[in-house]
Amino acid sequence: MGDRLVIRATPTGPADTVIVGAVVRASADPSEVARDEYRVLVHLDQLQSLIGYGDRVDRFAVATRDRAATGRAMAAINDAAFGFQAHRSRDIAVETSQTFLVVSRFHHAIGVITIVASAVFLLCIMLLKVDERRRDVAALRLMGISAATVLRSVVLEAAMVAVAGSALGVGLGAAISAAVNAHYRGVYRTPLAFSIVTPEVVGFSVALSLVLGVAAGFLAARRLTRVPPLALFGR
Amino acid sequence: MLVTLARASLAGRRARTALAVVGVAVSAALLLDMVMLASGMRASFRELLDVRGFTIRLAPRGTLPFDTDARIDSAGAIMARLGANPDIVAVSPVLGGQLHVLGPGGGVTAVAIGINPAVQGDYTLRTGHDIAGPDQAVVSADLLAAAHARVGDTLDVAGGYDAQLRAVTRERRIVIAGTAHFIYTPANPKAMAMPLATLRAMTGAAGDPVSLFMLRLRAGADADSVQRWIERAIPRVSAVSTASALRQVDRRLSYFRQLAFILGSVSLTVGVLLVATLVTVSVNERLGEIAVMRAIGVSTRSIVAQVMLEGVAIMLAGATLGLGLGLVTAHYLNGILSQFPGLPAAIDFFLFQPRDAWVSLGLLALAGVLAGVYPAWRGASLPIAATLRDEAVA
Amino acid sequence: MSDAPLAVSARDLRRDYAMGDAPVHALQGVSLDVAAGDYAAIVGPSGCGKSTLLNLLGAIDRPTAGSVRIQGKPVESLSDREATRFRLLHIGFVFQRFYLMPALSAAENVELPMAEAGLSRAQRRARARELLRYVGLEARADHRPTQLSGGEQQRVAIARALANRPALLLCDEPTGELDAHTGAEIIALFERLNAGGTTIVVVTHDEELAAAARRVVHVKDGRILSDTRVR
Repeated sequence: MGDRLVIRATPTGPADTVIVGAVVRASADPSEVARDEYRVLVHLDQLQSLIGYGDRVDRFAVATRDRAATGRAMAAINDAAFGFQAHRSRDIAVETSQTFLVVSRFHHAIGVITIVASAVFLLCIMLLKVDERRRDVAALRLMGISAATVLRSVVLEAAMVAVAGSALGVGLGAAISAAVNAHYRGVYRTPLAFSIVTPEVVGFSVALSLVLGVAAGFLAARRLTRVPPLALFGR
Repeated sequence: MLVTLARASLAGRRARTALAVVGVAVSAALLLDMVMLASGMRASFRELLDVRGFTIRLAPRGTLPFDTDARIDSAGAIMARLGANPDIVAVSPVLGGQLHVLGPGGGVTAVAIGINPAVQGDYTLRTGHDIAGPDQAVVSADLLAAAHARVGDTLDVAGGYDAQLRAVTRERRIVIAGTAHFIYTPANPKAMAMPLATLRAMTGAAGDPVSLFMLRLRAGADADSVQRWIERAIPRVSAVSTASALRQVDRRLSYFRQLAFILGSVSLTVGVLLVATLVTVSVNERLGEIAVMRAIGVSTRSIVAQVMLEGVAIMLAGATLGLGLGLVTAHYLNGILSQFPGLPAAIDFFLFQPRDAWVSLGLLALAGVLAGVYPAWRGASLPIAATLRDEAVA
Repeated sequence: MSDAPLAVSARDLRRDYAMGDAPVHALQGVSLDVAAGDYAAIVGPSGCGKSTLLNLLGAIDRPTAGSVRIQGKPVESLSDREATRFRLLHIGFVFQRFYLMPALSAAENVELPMAEAGLSRAQRRARARELLRYVGLEARADHRPTQLSGGEQQRVAIARALANRPALLLCDEPTGELDAHTGAEIIALFERLNAGGTTIVVVTHDEELAAAARRVVHVKDGRILSDTRVR
């Protein structure tokens, strides 16, 4: 801050001296992500003379009072045949965010695959967990405890495991999300959030693991309680 | 004997085995996809750059080396400098632009590239013949269809369109010499290639600009030293060799590699956890059986081998299933990423390279087997007498 | 019998367990010699230490103190791997609950120790058939354990124990899970085996089985009370 810098548009072009007046924070703009370049903000006329633009500009940003005014202003500008054309910021945003739409679609697809994978994994673990209780189930049944009671207790256990696992998973997810954000903010020098753990996401994952956990517990327990207890002992 | 025991153990718990195989298949598929994503993109890009033997590209700094929106002025002077280097045997200038093929219903907007037909590396001819005169062009099949034209037809093509005056400018009659496959364009392009001078005139470009140069080197020339020479001799362009272009792409698309690494690791972990859990449970259920085998003299090694055989069988079945599943999902995911703006359609984000696939599936199998060793060994090392007593009590 | 070489010789065997915080002295100085070709029954109340003794004689377990020699070889100093190999080649075990591998057929169960010993498939097949014929189960060779009666399963287990021509056959309550009739069949089988030269040590509560032995060793509270030669 306060230092004098000499800036040029090309290595051999005209030079100008500027004083570093402020350091600005990068804006949270997705279109700036992965642009591996340094930025300097100077006065318009200064840049025009540096790069030999004369009185030219690349574009104007026009602020309007409201939505209706935007439409009127666009029509007025376009009909006046100034030699350029007005676009809505939103339309430009849609066009320039194509990259992010593609990435977002890709994330969705990966998300679905991951959910399927974790569902299978969860089912498998739950089935094993219940299967491991074979002998306990057999002993309970031999003692005269009803199949329904055994089923309830196994399902309850499955639900408790699912809840405990979900709680752990939410914590782990939040930690990983924080790490991902810290990493990519550093890599791309942007304040953008790359991963957000929203209540919806938490709700969905907890609900999914609960439903799958209980369903797997129920299916496995029902199989066990239908087998005669002595057969569970392997006789 | 081991095989019989392992097979019987797996068949005895059919639902569990099936679910484990599916679980391994899904994680194998994800792992395969991620390995394909991590290495495929790079390989595919390299293939694309090297397809016509042009190993160095000159492009404005910060652009991908097939970006036809970029501009380099005073191309003639650069060509002259390049010609002075004996390592450079061919220079192919490329200019990108947009043209309007006029016709009923407003016509078609086409991506145009201006090239020197004698040394071009942007398209391969499919039908007809190559450009033989200033008013000839080769077009993509999609443009031909959109313009309702045939090879040999003459098109009215305009270089500019004034939206305010609603009139075309710089109009010219162009003969379609042939159709071609355009290497560096996005999917299903409406593209045409014509002599550089024609496109310059039609787009109203001042001076002699190009978007990029592609250089072919003498066999045995060192691309790195030529690249350094160019950057010293012509400071206003950056020379990009295939290697440095790959580095650039690596940097810009590093996100996908990192994602691939993270998801690949996760799926590997999940696969290992699954097999480790399965083997642990399977061993725990058979502690008595294992103790008896040990008592009658079956070695720890044989027992561990038998338990691992089960793990390997699950892994192999899962991996085989996962291979198919992975290829299907990779095709689907590749479809999504091929919409990526600004990248040639020929780039595959997911490229199946048998060696990588085998490496990843081998990794999964090895990890799974190793995950099974500990529980198997632990089960086989329990004191025989105590285990037999406990199992008898249970 | 006294001039025959010793099949097994135990000297001052002690075996302590930790059960919770309290140490349990399962064997408190047991010495026992069994000559080759002998047939000894170890009897005594539950928990007297007879199964512990059998496990030590069979190199399944290690004594806290004392030594065991089988065919003159001290086994308490063998590594786990060596002990396993030794059991495979020199000792046959028969358990109260048969412990056959449920996934394998009767013949495959008999072949299992031979496969581990490295015999060829043909050798295994022939020997398994011979053994099953010996125990009277040739026709049931391809049956799974679950398709066999208790007595049949125990006969398969005995055939398995004999697979590698062991010097010593150790049996832990071999008739414990069988009815009187099938129990008698097993007793007759043991007598036949012993008559053929096999050294047998059985641990049992079964008076008829004990009565069939040449020698009865009474164990109580981890010590030998009496050692009587019946015939």
